[in-house]
Formats: sequence, C-alpha cells, structure tokens
Amino acid sequence: MSGKTFFVDLSRCTACRGCQIACKQWKQLPAEQTKNTGSHQNPPDMSFVTLKVVRMKEVGSRDDFKWLFLPDQCRHCVEPPCKDAADSIVKDAITQDKATGAVVFTEKTKGLPFDVVRGACPYDIPRQDPATKVMSKCDMCNDRVTAGMLPACVKTCPTGAMNFGERDEMLAMAKKRFEALKQTNPKAVLVDWEQVRVVFLTEHEPRLYHATLMADADSAGPVTRFAALDAVLGLRNQARG
Amino acid sequence: MSLERREFLKLSAATVAFTAFGGLGLDLTTVQAAADLSKLKGSKQTTSVCCYCSVGCGLIVSTGLEGKGRAVNVEGDPDHPINEGSLCPKGASIWQLTENDKRITKVLYRAPNSDKWQVKSYEWALDEIAKRVKKVRDAAFIAKDAKGQTVNRLEAIASVGSAAMDNEECWIYQQMLRALGLTYIEHQARI
Repeated sequence: MSGKTFFVDLSRCTACRGCQIACKQWKQLPAEQTKNTGSHQNPPDMSFVTLKVVRMKEVGSRDDFKWLFLPDQCRHCVEPPCKDAADSIVKDAITQDKATGAVVFTEKTKGLPFDVVRGACPYDIPRQDPATKVMSKCDMCNDRVTAGMLPACVKTCPTGAMNFGERDEMLAMAKKRFEALKQTNPKAVLVDWEQVRVVFLTEHEPRLYHATLMADADSAGPVTRFAALDAVLGLRNQARG
Repeated sequence: MSLERREFLKLSAATVAFTAFGGLGLDLTTVQAAADLSKLKGSKQTTSVCCYCSVGCGLIVSTGLEGKGRAVNVEGDPDHPINEGSLCPKGASIWQLTENDKRITKVLYRAPNSDKWQVKSYEWALDEIAKRVKKVRDAAFIAKDAKGQTVNRLEAIASVGSAAMDNEECWIYQQMLRALGLTYIEHQARI
C-alpha cells in the first residue's frame, strides 16, 4: 500500500495549537464565537469551519495526574467507511485521491444524510454547515501535498509531534518510536496503524485522551469505558479528599 | 522531508505542470476538489521575520499579483536557522496582521481625560512625542545624586517593549534611551 501517511507522536505534543491555527490560516476559515468551558480546549469541538482541534483532557490526580493532548483530525482511513456509506447514495460526494490516499469531501456532500456519514465514521469527524448542508473535514491539505508541500499542520509543528511523508517511511518511523516509548510507557499504543493514514502514538491508554481516539466497537452504549474510567477516577479523587 | 525554499519558490511552476497534466483526460475526479494550488498561483515569495515575540522566527510571505498585490499566505521558512519552518499558533496566524479589516491604519490620539479618539498625521504625532519627551527630560533630569556624584540619569521616563524590533533596531533604540539618561529599560524578551 502506497500513498501518504501522518505520524503524530503525542509524547511530543505540547498543545501549542500551532497546527489548529495553521489549518485555519491556510484554508482561511473564520474564527468561531466560543465561551470559556473551564478548559484551554478552544473551540470546544470541531465544526464546519474548525477541521482540526487540539483536545485537552485532565485525568488522575496528584502523583499520577496527567494532562493529555490530542490534535484531533480526520484519520484518512485506508478503506474509508464514510466513503462506503456515501457512494451508494451520491456518487463522488466523498472521494479518495489515488496518489495520496486523502479522503476528500466535495460540495456534493450536501446531498448526503449527515447522520449516516457522521455515524459511519469511527472517529466522529464529519461536520456539517447548518446553512448549506455541505459537510467538511480535513482534506490532508491535498492541494499542498499534490504540489510537494507538507500539510499546513505538519509544516508548522514546532516540536516534531506531527510528521508526514510516504506511508512506508512514516510507519517505519512510528514503529521505531513506539518501541522506544514502550520502555518508559508500557501502555503506549500505535493507534489503528493498519487502518488509517493518521497514526497517533499515545503515551497512555488511548481512551484516556478522548473517547474516539481509537476505533472500537465497544465504545458505543450507555456507559463507555471512558465514562466508566472517569467515574472510577472521580471516586478515587473523593477518597483522597 | 522539509521543503527547501528553492523548491517552495518553484511551486508556481509545479502548479502549472499539474494543470497541464489535468488536461490529459485522465480521471481526476478524485483530486479535483482540492488539488489545485490556486491560492499561491502568480504570487511572489519573500522572507520576513515574525514580529510577535523575541524568538524571531523566519517567515515566507506569498504576495499576490507577482508581488504587487496583497499577502495571500504566510508560513514558516524551512531554511531559517531559528524555526526551521515551524511556527507557534500566534506566528501561524500572522497573515492576519496585515490582512485584517480591524487593522488600524491611521494615527489615533486620545488627549488626557478625553474619551474620544482623534485622527492625526504621523508628522503631528512624531513632533508631539519629541516635544513631550524633551519637556519631561528637561524637568526631571538628575545630573548629580544626593552624595554629589555625577549620575546623569532620567527616572521619569521608562521604556517597555518591543518584540517587534530586531536585534539591530533594539541596539539603536537603547542607545537613544541611554543618551536620554533612561535607566528603566525593559524588553519583551524578559517579560
């Protein structure tokens, strides 16, 4: 399998949000009216005009307190389920670049049922413009990549967390770093690396970062593992008082 | 996998080549949505330095109409030794420093105790600053301290700033301040 791939080393991410801003800047997407939610994560979620958001999560307390950062974006699945879902409804509404592997939403997505497309995504990425009904998400900066440039988010990353290149090179880099990180972080995971073109390397259990960091069938249901863990941590925090 | 500046400057040529490729009747429906680098087409690339903090990251500014138009994109300069192409979120947003309808383009003056801004000329503003600096310096200059030692200092004016100046500008600026006798000189790099 060829094409391009991102390797995102979360152990190097400082949540500076350079990637989030570089994405907006390159695509000239407008700012959003937001409010203080008690977190530095801002805006609170992705939207039609915010294709990338750095998620921040505080878990644990005192000695095992962790502040986890996740620059969340479309994973550009090798076999994209959103495209599978869309193809039977409107042809070419969601396309996949043969050379790079980028999954690209076109304006024809306005003819698709939003709940179907968003529901098909294991990572909860697609967003919709309420006015035009057009859907959007990261397009891997396919214009830049096709012209030989790095995606805007990778280009701007000051810490080396975001990497981009040929898939085999990126997977080699990812596995090498994974082996090294495992020495200090036995729970490190190279998330869904066989299925996606945006490969995250976590320092801790992926669900601690965000419920949809890793695709998982058992994330559905009334109580997710994530919520259950939160409850446990909450009780423990109370006990420590 | 960093893109050298030379390659960056060749991008408009690459864009043309791609468009020609698109004319071969190949199935490009999968790429047509986003693969045209029209944003940088016909733009001229020049280098600059980010003005926001004291790190001094290098920038590549793409200006439309072969350099005669407005800035269309600003991003990190991969050849710059300080940032090697990367930018922080503030630097990554620097395009908006110039291309911004909220940008103030005229001198605005608010008189003491006034709640109104008045539009003034640059000449008026520079003259007024010079006049007031001279007035304060003449009134507050300390030639000798209480012990009779020569100190030649001015404690009534302080300077705070400025990250927007480069190393050489800072040197000239602090020379001017020292000549006035200022001792309270601070730069944003230490704030």
